[in-house]
Order: sequence, then structure tokens, then C-alpha cells
Amino acid sequence: MTTPSTSTTTAPTSGEAGSVRAEQDALQLALAAEHAAVWGYGTVGAALAEGTRAEVVLAQQAHRDLRDRVAELLRAAGVDPVASSAAYALPFPVLSAVDAAALAVTLEDGTTVAWVYVLDQAAARDTRELAVTSASAAEVRAVSWRAQAGQTPVTSATPGLGG
Amino acid sequence: MSAPAPPPGEAPAVTRRALLVAGVLLPGLLAVGCSTDEPAGADAVTPAQVDQLAGQLAVQEQLVTAFATAFAASAELAAAASVLATQAGEQLERLRQAAPTATTSAAPAAPSSAPAVAADPAAIRATLRAQVAAAATSHATACLDFTGARAALLGSIAAGLRGQDGQLA
Repeated sequence: MTTPSTSTTTAPTSGEAGSVRAEQDALQLALAAEHAAVWGYGTVGAALAEGTRAEVVLAQQAHRDLRDRVAELLRAAGVDPVASSAAYALPFPVLSAVDAAALAVTLEDGTTVAWVYVLDQAAARDTRELAVTSASAAEVRAVSWRAQAGQTPVTSATPGLGG
Repeated sequence: MSAPAPPPGEAPAVTRRALLVAGVLLPGLLAVGCSTDEPAGADAVTPAQVDQLAGQLAVQEQLVTAFATAFAASAELAAAASVLATQAGEQLERLRQAAPTATTSAAPAAPSSAPAVAADPAAIRATLRAQVAAAATSHATACLDFTGARAALLGSIAAGLRGQDGQLA
């Protein structure tokens, strides 16, 4: 297990937006959000009855795949990818299916913000393509979880940007 | 079930880990469209990009019109999907703010005020869904040609429309 480092929870200050350095810093933040999502979906699934976890399994696998892809991208660029934290604290108690859905919303919204930030900072077209695809997939999942959590509206005009 | 307790003072909260990004980064991202000054660096746009932004404005205007047309033809759909139309309008406004110098080449067509006779509500809904999906694809594709805040805005709108798409299934 790794210990969370300060660098993984601090917004990058170096590298102008659109530079390679800025893109890599943004990808590190996205990777940190994906680590949290993979971990968090374990908690989401544990709070749901057996037989109702198919959506969780799919979502967790999607985040796991994305985590691995981003880590590989960073390694290929000679950057050491941020590691998962040893532990995470839940933002609220997860004691019911509704709580679990609300946690899933938090996880998806967090990754959406991170991927929209990658769009803002990216230097490469391929990176923007990955980011817009990832943000869209996260928002689609978030819509489903917001409905299950009883949140309205279930859709968002500009996910990852607020509003 | 209960979540594993983090060691005091060590574990970052999920919100801190995943949403700290939001707290730190949102102010900068939200700045797009909030100023008429042209930002420097990654946010600088070429004349060709101004034209492309105008194109995306037209796409969004057509989508807003599509919602109005569909709602005029189906009261049921209007009641069920009004929030989607509101959000499409919000997206249009954000695009206008981000492209203050861009003008669309043609005014959007006015929605028909006469309800379609014997219109199939399912067909109207399916048509609107296809228009939402097409707009999402258009914005997602366009965002690849931009950098900085405009890329973020176009990508965010595309993501929002992907979420809307499923609501019209």
C-alpha cells in the first residue's frame, strides 16, 4: 500500500495550459480520481444487494481500465504515475442503496471534473479525445446513479464545469 | 456495511481526492465565457476557430429549436423533458459567452406552432434523441480542434448531451 503524497492532491502550478507538462499534471489528477473511483465502487457494491451489482461491476471495470490506460500513457512519457492511496475516507456514511448511489454520483462527478480539466490543459489531440470520451462516459453513468439516488435533475448542462 | 476507517490524519477523503480537483480547478474553468478579453496561450483562437465556434453555436441553436419543435408536437414529451430543453438553452448561452465575436450564418428555424396531426409520440421522441446525439457528436468532434477553456466547454457540453441522450430512450 502506498501513502498519499502531497503532490497527488495539489493542483499543478507549473506548465502553461496546453504544454506537455500541464497535460501530464492534469493526467496525474485524472489518474488520482480514477484510483478513487475504483476504490469507491468497492464500497458502492458492498452496500447493494447481491444481484443488483451489475452496474457497479461495469463501472468499476471501466474506471480500472481507464486507470491502467492513463498510467501507461504517463509511463510511456517517462513520468511516474501517481499511486492509489492506502485508504480513503468516505464523504458520508454509506448505509443504504440510496447512499451507495449517491457515492457513485460523487465518484463519477469527480472523474468528470478531472477529465474536463484534462481537456483544458491538454497539448495533444489524442489526449483530448481520451478526455472527452471519458468525461462523457462518466456523465452517462452519473445520470443513472443520480436517478437511483433520487437526485434531480439527473442530467447536467455542463458536467465538470458546474451548472 | 461500514467503510474502512482511515487512519486519523492520513487518509484523503474521496471528496478530497476526487473532488479537490473541482475546488481547485473549477474557478479557472468557469472563467471561460465570463470575460470578453481574449485569453492568452492555449485559449487563443485563430480566425478558422472563430468560424468553427460559430458552427457549434449554430448546432446548438438548431438543437434548441428541435426541442421547441418536438414539444409543440408532443405535450407528453414537453412535460417529461422540459429540463433537458432548459439545459440545452444553458449550453447555448455558455457557448455564446465563450464566442462573443462569433455569429451564426443563419437564424434558427422557428418551431412549428401547429401540433403535428397524428404524430407518433415515440417517433417524435426518437427524432429528438437522434438530434441530441448528433449535437453531442458534433461538439465532441469540434473540441478536439481547440485547446484550453474552449476545448473544455465543448467537451463538457458534449458530455452533458450524452447524458441527456439516455433520458430520451
